[in-house]
Amino acid sequence: MRHATWVAGTAAAVLTLAVPVAYSAGVTMPPYTRTLLPNGTVLVVMPRRDVPLIAFTALVRGGGVVDPVGKPGVASLTAGLLEKGAGARDAFAFADAVEGAGGSFSAAAGTEAITVAGQFLAKDQGLMVELLADALLRPRFDAAQFDSLRKRQIEELKAAKDSDPSGLIRLYGRRFLFGDHPYGSPASGSERSLAAITREDVLAYNRANFGADRLTLIFAGDVDADALTKAVTRAFSGLARAATPLPALTSPPRVTGRRVLLIDQPGAAQTHFWLANTGVARKFADRAPLDVVNTLYGGRFTSILNTELRIKSGLSYGAVSGFTRGSVPGEFAIRSFTQTDTTGKAIDLALATLAGLHRDGVTEDALGSARNYVLGQFPQQLETASHWVGALAELELYGLDRSYIDGYTAAIEGVTPAAAKRVISEAFPAAGDLVIVVIGDAAKIRDAVAKYGPLSETTLAAPDFRARPQ
Amino acid sequence: MLPRRFFSAGGPGGYNAAMHSNMAGGVLAALSIFAVTAAHAAAPDEIRSLTLDNGLRIIVWPDHDIPNVALYNYVRVGSRNEAPGITGLAHFFEHMMFNGTARRPPGEFDRDMEARGGRNNATTTDDLTIYMDWFPSTALDLVFDLEGDRLGHLAFDPKVVESERGVVYSERRLRVEDDNTGFLAEQVQSTAFAAHPYHFPTIGWPSDIEGWTLADLQRFFKTYYAPNNCTFVVAGDVDAGEVFALARKFLAPIPRQAPPPAVRTVEPVQPGEKRVTVERRAQTPLLQLAYKAPKADDPRNVTLGLLSTILAQGDASRLHRLLVEEKKLAVSVDTYLQEGFDPGLFWVFVTLPEGGNPDIVEAVIDAEFAKLVSEGVSDAELARARNLTNVAYFQQLATIDGKARLLGEFEVMHGDYRKLFDLPGAIARVTREDIRAAAKELLDARHRTVGVLMPTPAASGPRPGGEG
Repeated sequence: MRHATWVAGTAAAVLTLAVPVAYSAGVTMPPYTRTLLPNGTVLVVMPRRDVPLIAFTALVRGGGVVDPVGKPGVASLTAGLLEKGAGARDAFAFADAVEGAGGSFSAAAGTEAITVAGQFLAKDQGLMVELLADALLRPRFDAAQFDSLRKRQIEELKAAKDSDPSGLIRLYGRRFLFGDHPYGSPASGSERSLAAITREDVLAYNRANFGADRLTLIFAGDVDADALTKAVTRAFSGLARAATPLPALTSPPRVTGRRVLLIDQPGAAQTHFWLANTGVARKFADRAPLDVVNTLYGGRFTSILNTELRIKSGLSYGAVSGFTRGSVPGEFAIRSFTQTDTTGKAIDLALATLAGLHRDGVTEDALGSARNYVLGQFPQQLETASHWVGALAELELYGLDRSYIDGYTAAIEGVTPAAAKRVISEAFPAAGDLVIVVIGDAAKIRDAVAKYGPLSETTLAAPDFRARPQ
Repeated sequence: MLPRRFFSAGGPGGYNAAMHSNMAGGVLAALSIFAVTAAHAAAPDEIRSLTLDNGLRIIVWPDHDIPNVALYNYVRVGSRNEAPGITGLAHFFEHMMFNGTARRPPGEFDRDMEARGGRNNATTTDDLTIYMDWFPSTALDLVFDLEGDRLGHLAFDPKVVESERGVVYSERRLRVEDDNTGFLAEQVQSTAFAAHPYHFPTIGWPSDIEGWTLADLQRFFKTYYAPNNCTFVVAGDVDAGEVFALARKFLAPIPRQAPPPAVRTVEPVQPGEKRVTVERRAQTPLLQLAYKAPKADDPRNVTLGLLSTILAQGDASRLHRLLVEEKKLAVSVDTYLQEGFDPGLFWVFVTLPEGGNPDIVEAVIDAEFAKLVSEGVSDAELARARNLTNVAYFQQLATIDGKARLLGEFEVMHGDYRKLFDLPGAIARVTREDIRAAAKELLDARHRTVGVLMPTPAASGPRPGGEG
């Protein structure tokens, strides 16, 4: 394959959707309704009548950031158990009902919400609402299923460590960058934290967070809107408010200077690296220039980063950058990999591109190219009903209105050199202010990476994502 | 991750997406997932095709739902066409097709395409090299110009060859050397085929990646990148007449070449089970079973596709339920039917928990396969597989990317894009007895290769401190 895509990984969080929600001329946001049900649940319905499928997403606000302190993974286990027996169906009967109808139904904990997503044939609209209500209102949290899923999630993390580590490096990185801020906590849990979680933790999480005031239900596709609204209203009317209010997140600080985390993978042929600092929030006002500048810097094949690390030098199969923008600022990160021997050379080059971005800015020609690229690619990101439920979920989760999508074309077209300069200064970290996270053969690369700053270490096989206490 | 898919990711989420609106009425009728009759389905009228005088074939599916276009060029060359010394060359060539022509310096292809809002990628398999462009319809002329230019006037800059060699080696490290599933699959596949070039890994053996020469590249281009060896598919916001005019302008002038030499080698019948063991630094053991399977255009493959779904797609599938949920012997299980020009493999991939015993897992799978062959599958299992397959088929046709991909796949691998529209009928006709008979024929231990990856003793244990 010629090149990989940027969105990696293990964390299937709404927060991690690095795809910019943009818009293009000739496409308009289809009509949809947004209803506040009497108990506080939000219902969004976007009819798309041409084909007999319905896509859905349910958001339960909270997610990994409200995991009990010291127990990352409770939200993830809670989510996983929603489809392992609910209402009148045990785990097998639930899977039989979904797949027997040709449907899909999966739940996962993201950073700021548990997301349940899937699709069904239009003729199974009733079954879809029934299964969704059972999973969200009447999960069994069966003890044997809890035990089985917890063990499996631990083993899945071990298996992931035996595979391409591109998806894992971010978990180490966020822990190292954000520390004990909730954004540092891995929503997947770690082998160590999962082992300590009990079924009572899951029940407590469910009581505290599963409530009408935390729930948003989104449907798009070939719906019978009246019947759907009635069925949803009836099915979810018994849901009370969550037992606890949703805590507000504080903004994590930016780091100054550099520090290094080296994760030892003995015998690795290649070194993976992740260079990051705290970036900007979802509601960052200069989002359009941010998307355009990141496209130029590390968001497409001819980006500055990929040109230096791949096209001109052949040091890597690919190098990318991106912003994770949550309710509060997540990270700006550069990610790439190179063979063990060229670790220092590749990291030096990545740092030089970031310094160059601040020093030289971007040209007006380059801005024009990137504006075209962002606008040209966007329609394919909102082509299907499941794309639309994803976009609507983003609006709902972060409290954005439809202008976030409808105003995007004009905003991109209006990106000026001055705005580009502004976001480079405000949102892109200086090359001297970064955490540097490296997975590779420590014995061979320790000297090369120690020069960047104070060194912390751990091993890939260690059962968590933290640096070893020094 | 599956070995074929290492080099065959697709477009922007085409396989993940659900339906979009404004699918042509004719298509809806043809694809009706409720159809249970055996009627021969017609292709939608708006799909047009043309063969240029130089042999290049082009298929167009207009779809004006979004103002974008997906263009696929299927080139009939893959690692199947390689030999010792040049393994990996088809894949390397995939990279070189972006690196300059007599008219455009290296890098201009991507710069021009991105500046007009377009994006591209490419992928190589045992059988094919596939080039993909996704762009706003306003860039249609540019994309045809770029595609015609690289087919007609590719140039090889020795400096670029060297830096791209580094890129490909990096890709090998990523997908094979630092990935245990990829590493084991490479061993299993090269063990399974004694004679046929499916023996060669698509990414290439390391010494060949380091060794191929400029002359190898030039010979390869001349032989395989002939217009008569290419099929273009265009889906999206286009008019078929406009596409054909651009094809005549930019692609028709490229001269026809002698047809590439046929792959003559036929893999002899496997005389008994083969086994390969790999010892690697790892936490989790892996087990892979690879059974000899029919080629892509074999009519049994619709049945085998349903069998694969029954066995391992979804939490209600047989092997998942048995190995992961009930016996807890596996962390995950997947199956994959490799469909190429020549008979390939049906794969079973199992990831075991730390300390798991692959012998026990293999015995449980063997017993389950024996039961399947003797008792067959239930009506519910077949209905589930049919519904899941039909919905997946629909989902792929919901995007312009999926439309272009599938039309190309059926044209190239099955000989006619129209056969795509026979698939729902064929799925509806499969019976429980078909599944049982196909399982009996396929799941023959004498014709399989078993791969096991066993962890070497771990160096690190638990340590104090920290919680996540």
